[in-house]
Amino acid sequence: MTFDTVNLIPVLPEILILILASAVLLVDLYVKEAEKGTLHTLALIGVALALAATLLVGGGERQVVLEGHYVRDALSDALKAMILIVGLLVFVYSRDYLRDRGLATGEYYALALFALLGMMVMVSANSFLAIYLGLELLALCLYALVAFDRDSQRGAEAAMKYFVLGALGSGMLLYGISMIYGATGSLALDEVAAVVAEQGLENLVLVFGLAFLVVGIGFKFGAVPFHMWVPDIYEGAPTPVVLLLGSAPKIAALALAVRLLIDGLGGLQSDWQGMLVILSVLSMGLGNLLAIAQTNIKRMLAYSTISHVGFIFLGLLAGTADGFAAAMFYAIVYAMMAAGAFGILLILSRRGFDAEHLDDLKGLNDRDTWYAAVMALMMFSMAGVPPFVGFMAKLFVLKAVVDIGMTWLAIVAVFFSIIGAFYYLRIVWLIYFDKPTTDAPLTDSGGVRVAMSLNGLAVLGLGLFPATLLAICQAAFL
Amino acid sequence: MPIAAIILLPLLGAALPPLVARHGRPAPAWAAALVTSAALAITLWLTPQVLAGGEIHSHRDWIPLLGLSLSFRLDGLALLFVLLITGIGLLVFLYAFYYLPAKDGLGRFYALLLLFQGAMLGIVLSDNLLLLLIFWELTSLSSFLLIAYNPQTRVARQGARMALAITAGGGLALLAGFLLLGAIVGSFELSVVLASGDLVREHPLHLPALLLILAGAFTKSAQFPFHFWLPNAMSAPTPVSAYLHSATMVKAGVFLLARLFPVFSGTETWFYLVGGVGMFTLLFGAYIAIFKHDLKGLLAYSTISHLGLITFLFGLGTPLGAVAALFHVGNHAVFKASLFMAAGIIDHETGTRDMRQINGLWRFMPYTATLAMVAAAAMAGVPLLNGFLSKEMFFAETVHTDWLGPLNWLIPTAATLAGIFAVAYSMRFIHDVFFNGAPIDLPRTPHEPPFWMKIPVAVLVAACLLIGIVPAQTVRPILDVGVDSLLGFSPDFSLAIWHGLSLPFLMSLIALLGGLALYSQRQRLFAAHDRYFPRTSGAAAFQYTVLRVRQLANDLIARIDNESLRRYVAWLIGTTIVLAATPLLLGDFHLAGERAPTPLDGIAATILLVLAVATLATVRVRRQRLRALIVISLVGLMVTLTFIHFSAPDLALTQLSVELITTVLMLLALFFLPGDPALSVSRWRHRRDLTLAAVAGLGTAIVAFALMTRTTPSISDYFLAFSKPFGGGQNVVNVILVDFRGLDTLGEITVLAIAATAIVALLWRLRLPIRAGDPTGRPWADDRHPLIMAAMSRPLLPLALTVAVFILLRGHNSPGGGFIAGLVAAVGLILQLLASGLAWTEARLRVSYFALVGVGLLLAAATGLGSLAFDRPFLTSATLHPHVSILGDLELASALAFDIGVFLVVLGTVMLILEGLGRLNRPGAANMSPRGED
Repeated sequence: MTFDTVNLIPVLPEILILILASAVLLVDLYVKEAEKGTLHTLALIGVALALAATLLVGGGERQVVLEGHYVRDALSDALKAMILIVGLLVFVYSRDYLRDRGLATGEYYALALFALLGMMVMVSANSFLAIYLGLELLALCLYALVAFDRDSQRGAEAAMKYFVLGALGSGMLLYGISMIYGATGSLALDEVAAVVAEQGLENLVLVFGLAFLVVGIGFKFGAVPFHMWVPDIYEGAPTPVVLLLGSAPKIAALALAVRLLIDGLGGLQSDWQGMLVILSVLSMGLGNLLAIAQTNIKRMLAYSTISHVGFIFLGLLAGTADGFAAAMFYAIVYAMMAAGAFGILLILSRRGFDAEHLDDLKGLNDRDTWYAAVMALMMFSMAGVPPFVGFMAKLFVLKAVVDIGMTWLAIVAVFFSIIGAFYYLRIVWLIYFDKPTTDAPLTDSGGVRVAMSLNGLAVLGLGLFPATLLAICQAAFL
Repeated sequence: MPIAAIILLPLLGAALPPLVARHGRPAPAWAAALVTSAALAITLWLTPQVLAGGEIHSHRDWIPLLGLSLSFRLDGLALLFVLLITGIGLLVFLYAFYYLPAKDGLGRFYALLLLFQGAMLGIVLSDNLLLLLIFWELTSLSSFLLIAYNPQTRVARQGARMALAITAGGGLALLAGFLLLGAIVGSFELSVVLASGDLVREHPLHLPALLLILAGAFTKSAQFPFHFWLPNAMSAPTPVSAYLHSATMVKAGVFLLARLFPVFSGTETWFYLVGGVGMFTLLFGAYIAIFKHDLKGLLAYSTISHLGLITFLFGLGTPLGAVAALFHVGNHAVFKASLFMAAGIIDHETGTRDMRQINGLWRFMPYTATLAMVAAAAMAGVPLLNGFLSKEMFFAETVHTDWLGPLNWLIPTAATLAGIFAVAYSMRFIHDVFFNGAPIDLPRTPHEPPFWMKIPVAVLVAACLLIGIVPAQTVRPILDVGVDSLLGFSPDFSLAIWHGLSLPFLMSLIALLGGLALYSQRQRLFAAHDRYFPRTSGAAAFQYTVLRVRQLANDLIARIDNESLRRYVAWLIGTTIVLAATPLLLGDFHLAGERAPTPLDGIAATILLVLAVATLATVRVRRQRLRALIVISLVGLMVTLTFIHFSAPDLALTQLSVELITTVLMLLALFFLPGDPALSVSRWRHRRDLTLAAVAGLGTAIVAFALMTRTTPSISDYFLAFSKPFGGGQNVVNVILVDFRGLDTLGEITVLAIAATAIVALLWRLRLPIRAGDPTGRPWADDRHPLIMAAMSRPLLPLALTVAVFILLRGHNSPGGGFIAGLVAAVGLILQLLASGLAWTEARLRVSYFALVGVGLLLAAATGLGSLAFDRPFLTSATLHPHVSILGDLELASALAFDIGVFLVVLGTVMLILEGLGRLNRPGAANMSPRGED
């Protein structure tokens, strides 16, 4: 095996994150307890550098490197940049929470950075091997992070469930991959695609493999009926971890689906389309319906995630370039909204108190008008109310579905979002029209307010001017 | 883009009032008025052009992919609405300044009003369906914030909540409808859609599209059965009611009916749906309004009723119906806004809105009373006022309707009845409030409001009179172009006040007299209403629905998401089975591939049989752990035999030693497990798990069968061919490990080393409770290390180590290798640990296992790096053939050094783990660090 430096340039962002994660581990050994803030700074600088590197090496022709296992194209550029941006938000929002609880240790930062690395690998993978590598890197870090607060019994239980189910999900995916490898004799996505185009639906093994892949993808996305881990993990894990786990990995999961289903098994579209329709309808329906009954906001947002996954699937199953672009747009937008919503929960939490219940949001407006406005913005956007970006995202996927003649599906989707609107708006009511249950002041520092403002403005601004982001998404599927 | 400016002015101008709020209380109001005036001025500047019959369009792409563009059109219909929105808006701004408590800052309020105004203007000016929808939802949003502007009470919050839920939900239905309409027509541009009426009406998706769009329109315009949000929204500040709930937002629905009139009207469905709902709402609203004791409640139901009237007129689908509808839109806005303002003044001055308390206000506020009475008369349809004219046209239209055939007479009758009700509630507004004795227990002593607060009311009432007396000179031109934009032509209609003694006039007369009569009998009517009218309301139904949906959600949660891992796994596996089985069952596939099955020989059959029996036996005795462990090691042995049978000695050797070590590991762990696992599993769950396991097993078998009967490309030929020339060894397995996939192996042993370190760290100073005896209560044996066993095990150690070295050295060409050798050596050492105890072994074996692992890793890595020195890629192997006496021809590959590294790491790792676990077994002993560390 030989390494060529030219080969490594497109991988520069990943290399930077890897170096950074290792550096954090090392530095952690030598800094004093009181100076753990250094790690935070280090992580921020590193992610920002990786972001700059992504933009620097990005653009231009598609490059396949590392023996065909790795690809840098318009899709990977955009998704990586978004993952890193969301990653920055995650670090900024989480700092106070972690510091107050003594959790701001090197392990947290290292694990989070390795998780980011895993996502980036998934995004740029061009073979089953690389996909799986990234996926597991991400998953293992997340398992550990869920159990990160070692004194939390709920966290331990959640991590246990996550691990058992996650291992099962990964196992299914691997099983599917092995069958497809058996049928096509290759792990490289383009070669698989070529063989699939030739054999198509006649090969039973391929079709079996596909079913297992869909199970794996459904699991990683948290689509019904593979969604069970989502609410329990959201509820049990520490909020900063939920913030990390609920935002950027959606983008990575989208990449997973795109790479596997479109780049690899595009020839079997008629098969996976039907499966995705079922998963999508179930996710939208159950997710929205069950969210209504929740009193724990983390759990509610978990079900909300599930319903949004249904929408992302709508775009994917459309099977057109516009549909894929719409799904990508949706995933990116969702990650931003989720980051904002969980960020607010982190701001509301303080030493010895976690904002977890809907009641904790009561009267937020009286406590801090600006954060209340941002949270309302996020909720309106998630509900799909114009002119926020969530509406645009919904519109894109709906349009894609209508364009392929599945109008009934679009109507079903709209129906469920009416139900969904109900619980998002309930949060807005709580924020504005109820009296606060506590008068503890909101503390924030370290640019949290700036980051949150930018996050909120992005949700508003992208709603009014979605063209640029949309163009980026479309360019990824030319 | 002057049209866009009309919308953008208030939308962007909304930022202005909060900015200037610190310059005194009037500043925000002035700012808002300025912005709206500017928008109005632009409209007026464009008006002549529109009146001359010219539609003004502007177009700009926004998101071409969606077909969403910034297209605007100013035609007659839009002009009418823009004038209403901006004109009444200005009056409301003036009124609100005096209405709102002096202590309130007005910045936010005016900002919200402007935002709403901009959104409303957007609806009426949009020339693109999706754009219209965006503005539509914006009105819901801004109106929500306005209704809830001052949420003092629970009722107010609930009202705002309900209003938002209904209208925003309706908006989403509208979205679906527009998507369908866009799919039918192929464009979201209104100009295109309006020209495709025939296409739409004949399309199979016509009905769903129509239903969804009507759902949007009816929710917004408070038509039955969605009407209930409007009365509940009356908790809003009165200026908001005057603006939103009379003149603008509730008119958005009927505006939509008007806008899409050319596309949908004229079909039977349209008549029955729109006309039917409109007529029912008209009657129902008018009837309920009579019984409302709350002033604003009365006005709200009256609004519902009038909106029903307009909806009915559009439903008729006739040109004159459209004229009357448009006319009434304007008239209703004018008189209802003034009535709301009057109600607000009364509320403001008396402190209550309850008509049972408010009586005889004429003496306290004659001016306001006069204005309010004129407006109420317009609402009742008294001649010389604007309400009369449009109502007369409405009556005329009902007479000419022949949709119902022989039952045609029903329509004018119902219309007259509604007229009677309308007169009755208008009378109530006039008589009950301003006359009817003296006020009862008013919180405040009423008097005339500030002069400028009456001005907006006066202006509107003047408009009522003006339009009512000289309609042709005032509203005719706008009405002409308005209808023209609906129909494409302006029908011949007369706006004269006096049409002669016609049937419609007779109906008006009956309505007036009947209404007066009804009002005079009101006490009896109230009693009858209380007794007989069903106590259900839309709001209650809404709450009930919400409750039921929640219940459903809770049921589902109990059923699906009960946080049980076992159930989750069952779902996951079950769904996977379904997904994988579907293509097999539905598709046209041959399960068996092209390869003929290998013939079954006796040995294989025996192995399979034992394997199956052992597996079943393990399941059977799973509760008795020791026994289960013994039986399951039988499974492992059978797998080993299978490997041997299929000529894979390396695998067999590895499997055998791994099997041994894991069994020992599990035995050590067993010691710490709690006693009898007395899990009680319900019979049902037991069956479910059994079925699931059986089906999953069967599925796996099917998949395996399908896979193995197919030829798949194989890479084994490559390795067989190149193992010797490239790797310098004949044992392909070993060559793969140390050469072809050397990097993988290096990674693997690194992981092993890390795992060992982690396990040691986990077990570090761990104390576990140790039971005194086994689960049945028998104490452990006294003799921890039986002598015979110790004695027998000792000679085995040198043997095992010799075998290990042998296997290690020959590995490159014959079965063997570092990995297996490491395991074998470990087995020998474990034997000593078990037989003679930890202390004994430790005393004799002075090796740090950590050092073993470290040296092994370094050795392996160094071998790899060595090849770099010869300018070869990392981990390329080199071969030497030295001739040593005694041993004969030795073939020393550099891979051997690598293999020794592997050997050391494996040995060290296994020992570290087992020793760590073994330490736990010593009663009362805390786990100390392994030797060489502590």
